[in-house]
Amino acid sequence: MADESVANAPKGRVVTGVIGADVHVVGNRLLAMALERAGFKVINLGVLVSQEEFINAAVESNADALFISSLYGHAELDCEGLREKCIEAGLDDILIYVGGNVALGKQEWSEVEKRFLAMGIDRVFPPRTPPKVGIELLERDLAARKRSKG
Amino acid sequence: MIDEGLFQALRREVLATWPTGQEVSDEAFEYYQRKGDSGVFHQRLQEAKAAGRTLLQPRGGVPLVHLQIELLRHLEQVGTADLLPLTVDSYTRQNRYEEAQRHLERSQQEGVALLNGFPVVNHGVRNSRAVLEAVAAPVQIRHGSPDARLLAEISFAAGYTSFEGGGITYNLPYSARVPLERSVRDWQYVDRLSGYYTERGVVINRESYGALTGIMVPPAIAVAISVFEALLAAEQGVKSITVGYGQNGHIIQDVAAVEVLGTLTQQYLQRFGFHDVDVTTCFHEWMGPFPMTEGRAFGLIGLGALTAALARATKVITKTPHEAYGVPTKEANAQGLLCSRLMVDTMAHQVPLDRAQVAEEARWIAREATAIVEKALELGEGRFDASVVRAFEAGVMDLPFCPSIYAQNKVMPIRDATGAVRYLEHGHLPFDKETLDRNQELIHQRMGAVDTDPLEQIEKDINFFLEAEGFSAVSGGS
Repeated sequence: MADESVANAPKGRVVTGVIGADVHVVGNRLLAMALERAGFKVINLGVLVSQEEFINAAVESNADALFISSLYGHAELDCEGLREKCIEAGLDDILIYVGGNVALGKQEWSEVEKRFLAMGIDRVFPPRTPPKVGIELLERDLAARKRSKG
Repeated sequence: MIDEGLFQALRREVLATWPTGQEVSDEAFEYYQRKGDSGVFHQRLQEAKAAGRTLLQPRGGVPLVHLQIELLRHLEQVGTADLLPLTVDSYTRQNRYEEAQRHLERSQQEGVALLNGFPVVNHGVRNSRAVLEAVAAPVQIRHGSPDARLLAEISFAAGYTSFEGGGITYNLPYSARVPLERSVRDWQYVDRLSGYYTERGVVINRESYGALTGIMVPPAIAVAISVFEALLAAEQGVKSITVGYGQNGHIIQDVAAVEVLGTLTQQYLQRFGFHDVDVTTCFHEWMGPFPMTEGRAFGLIGLGALTAALARATKVITKTPHEAYGVPTKEANAQGLLCSRLMVDTMAHQVPLDRAQVAEEARWIAREATAIVEKALELGEGRFDASVVRAFEAGVMDLPFCPSIYAQNKVMPIRDATGAVRYLEHGHLPFDKETLDRNQELIHQRMGAVDTDPLEQIEKDINFFLEAEGFSAVSGGS
């Protein structure tokens, strides 16, 4: 499934997928394609992906970021402990972005965001965020990381 | 064709997987003979095809026998349905009969529906038969199961003579990790069982689920997949095949797609020597995101039925004004039928259609579909099952917005300036230069006019019929 078509060196490697028991596939495909078109190497795991599968794919591909989608409202439970498991697996500075419909029902966005950031998620996106917003932030975060590593 | 000895051994194995399997026997043939039924569903389709009529069929399934009978009688008597459904619950589709049993028993105790369909396997032959016998119209089993072997056994023994699904169309849109090789093999069993009944005087109609993921499936992809499911069925002795297609919302393209679906399927069956197979067509009213407001929903249902009738589809699967909210009431279901009935019976023959435009679109759909089928046949080295598996592996056959890892998902559809579905990315579909040039030109006519991200356009294209969201041809989709 991984895209092999990036001719030049990719801007970065991103593992994408829909976490948990969620089968919503449309946003996942659009995001994966947007990342590819922006010059990233994408390892798209599709739907029904577990934390372990995200981590294994990230280790295997030496990924820079995880782009985790969730549309069924259980993202918080599904992402619990993910940052700690990444560190255990040696993925010390991998970026973790989460987006979709990440909270159940109508909740204050700033509160939702706070809870995800506290779990060690780098960025969390409200419903209907266009893919390009996440991609621009990823480019910025990767550039900043490069600079700080000198 | 599956070897007879192997088939009978497999049957014993399959029938032993749940107690009601023991109710299956050759008594079924006596039952059919007593009823004078030699495949009533097939007969009804043939009559409609000969008369140029489009039959109406709703969806619908509830867990309890008396509630299912109440639902079907309402759809038949109030909704004027020509053909009826028995939609099977999600546990049964996944062969989780123990969970289905628990929810069925609780539904029985509490008198409420705790399953989203009728658990045919758990009800067994006798109870499933009771539903069929309570209505006049023929009833089809509809589900979404990658392994429907036991379901087919119980259904055919109970007296149901039409069965939806196939190794491709009931796997890829429904499952994430079921190997195509396995689902194709398990559906060869269902097709062989259909052939077994057919050879004994009971014609089983087999229908391919052509609506697939229901989200902007390019017509050529639906056609190519249908051709293979028809060939796989015919190879096992099936004589009555219905091929399907889901409305994309562009009348000319939709009509052209149904026409090519029927003719190309027939051509390939002929080419491989299956001369005595009857092919009929099924049109699915819009399977994508449905409007929340009833007025808009009825407009869309009417458009779907009208398109089906213009395309002379043998039958149309109707939607309901509750589609946006989940499982409809029987009353809402009947309203969707009545809206469709008006269009099919009184409107379609009054609407002129630009036949030259339909023919032009049909020519391209046939060209694309033929390219896919030919390449797949080449990869399969003379075997239809291997053709399918290898073609999906290579991306020569592909399905956009597919949850399964067994499709490459390299194809991305987009609408052109008129709303017809084209390819933003065609992945590894084996198209020639003229096909690709025409596609580029058509999407450029739309995208050239607006400086926006095509992926954002696609979201609008998917939500084509939603309030405040929908596609606008006049403004170039922006």
